[in-house]
Amino acid sequence: MIDFLTSRGFKIFFALFVAALLITAPFYLRNFGLYLIAMWLVISVAALGLNLTLGYAGQVSMAQGAFVGIGAYVTGLMTLAGVPWPVAFLCSGLLCFVVGWVLGYPALRVQHHYLAFVTLAFSTLVFLLMRNEEWLTKGIYGLTDVPRPILFGWNTGKAFDFYFFVLGVVTLLSLGVWWIIRSPWGRAFVALRENPVRALSLGVDTRRYTLMAFAMGSAIGGFAGALYAPLVQFFEPNSFALPLSLNLLLMVIVGGGGTFFGPFIGAATAVLLPEWLRIAQGYYLIIYAIVVMILMLFCPTGIMGLGDRFISHFRQKRISAERADKAKDMAQQEGK
Amino acid sequence: MMQPVLEVTDVSKRFGGVTAVDGVSFKVYEGEILGIIGPNGSGKSTLFNCVLGQLHPTHGSIKVDGHDVTGARPCDLNRLGVSRTFQLLQVFPELSVRDNLILAGQEHEGSMLDRLLGPRDAGLTASANQMIEFFRLSHVADEKAGGLSYGQQKLLDAAMAFMAGPRLVLLDEPAGGVNLTMLGHLRDRLKAINTEQNATFVVIEHNMEFVMALCNRIIVLAEGKIIAEGTPDEIRSNPEVIEAYLGH
Repeated sequence: MIDFLTSRGFKIFFALFVAALLITAPFYLRNFGLYLIAMWLVISVAALGLNLTLGYAGQVSMAQGAFVGIGAYVTGLMTLAGVPWPVAFLCSGLLCFVVGWVLGYPALRVQHHYLAFVTLAFSTLVFLLMRNEEWLTKGIYGLTDVPRPILFGWNTGKAFDFYFFVLGVVTLLSLGVWWIIRSPWGRAFVALRENPVRALSLGVDTRRYTLMAFAMGSAIGGFAGALYAPLVQFFEPNSFALPLSLNLLLMVIVGGGGTFFGPFIGAATAVLLPEWLRIAQGYYLIIYAIVVMILMLFCPTGIMGLGDRFISHFRQKRISAERADKAKDMAQQEGK
Repeated sequence: MMQPVLEVTDVSKRFGGVTAVDGVSFKVYEGEILGIIGPNGSGKSTLFNCVLGQLHPTHGSIKVDGHDVTGARPCDLNRLGVSRTFQLLQVFPELSVRDNLILAGQEHEGSMLDRLLGPRDAGLTASANQMIEFFRLSHVADEKAGGLSYGQQKLLDAAMAFMAGPRLVLLDEPAGGVNLTMLGHLRDRLKAINTEQNATFVVIEHNMEFVMALCNRIIVLAEGKIIAEGTPDEIRSNPEVIEAYLGH
């Protein structure tokens, strides 16, 4: 059973099943349902970026929401000025990459909660800029009527079309992230998280990888922002204040940091679960909070970690049984 | 005259008012296994950390193959062919044994972009498998390193130090906490690498039997200074060493 669940064939089957579900779901959903799943996909991308910085490379960041904001504002302002969405999308990612790289420098000197405070300060700074620089961001009034892209004559203005557009872009971004974490860079990021001193002694340039982890994670946050802007079409600075960064942190931890699918699951708990719990009316936030607390109490490695523990438990049991059988055979042979 | 692989000249390291290493000089030649022994607090690990770029010496110079590497970063030193093991276990527990070894070699070839766009294993699976076989870790090759026994992790730690085919390997207490069977196995592996590849080692160790059996030459440190240098037999019979270190 465990071998089947961890086999390549099952993984491919499961991926195809999820893909089929995501492709067919819109045919059975209304506009709000489509909006919700598109939001889940966009937020998953933002969490995917944070997962690269925090889950894989072990660098605490409380500024991912700010990068989503930078990406959203860059795309919003550019597309409102008539710049095609793909150009705005690339500019969002590029600007966040550069800003993320600069933000990575403090990580070369401070770690853990000290680094968390540095990124927290950055997050606040970005929020204040968005709110106070009215000449650029329109301050508390925010940006309205952000257009949805028209690509090669395909108008994504309707919820149905926009959903498929988001699905396509998120698939490409996810494949990109999958490539990074499967490459030697992914291994170097894990080494940076687990033991930077040893990594350095093995030739891993921890300084460069730290900066790169910040820059790439931030760029992916910027790309998520570039999708967020045309999805919601109206936003203001509060959308990207500290609660978003904390929420993204929660998603990575609840889903399972350092695993590829963790952010998707984490984002589902943060975006979809509260909606499903609305039947509980005013109590839904309380129920949600209790579910998250119980999960963290019994499974600090997140939902993906729960799966890993389950698989390791059964594998270990099987190995012990095999060892016992072997010892028994040897004892019998010696007896003869 | 043959150029030394490692040349340490008049190296001192002070922490405030404490002199941990005091004017130490020595040379290590190709194919040699040099042992550094001394009581706790004699400055062995500090000296190692100065050589390996983890600490910047207060005074003196360090050369590898004639190039001045004083204060160079550990990753740059590693790419120059200087590798190390640590006193305490330093493997990457969440990576498999094979991935630990691939990681130990992947940064030595090509640029960062090559590593991003190139194959996942950086073309090192065959070398990693050879190392796994050499250190007899085949049965746990795909296990996470964190799940191995202490002795197996020690072997993996040593294997990682040799993965990139280094010119010089500094081993910090390789025998610490390893059981007798595994210890003999580790010594055999180190001897084999030394003989087959003419590899050069510097070893810090408290286990006298292990040092005497492995090393060609031994330096004795006490209070940050070299008090004796010679072959294992000479060190065994040196009255100053017996007085300062062996204590009988």
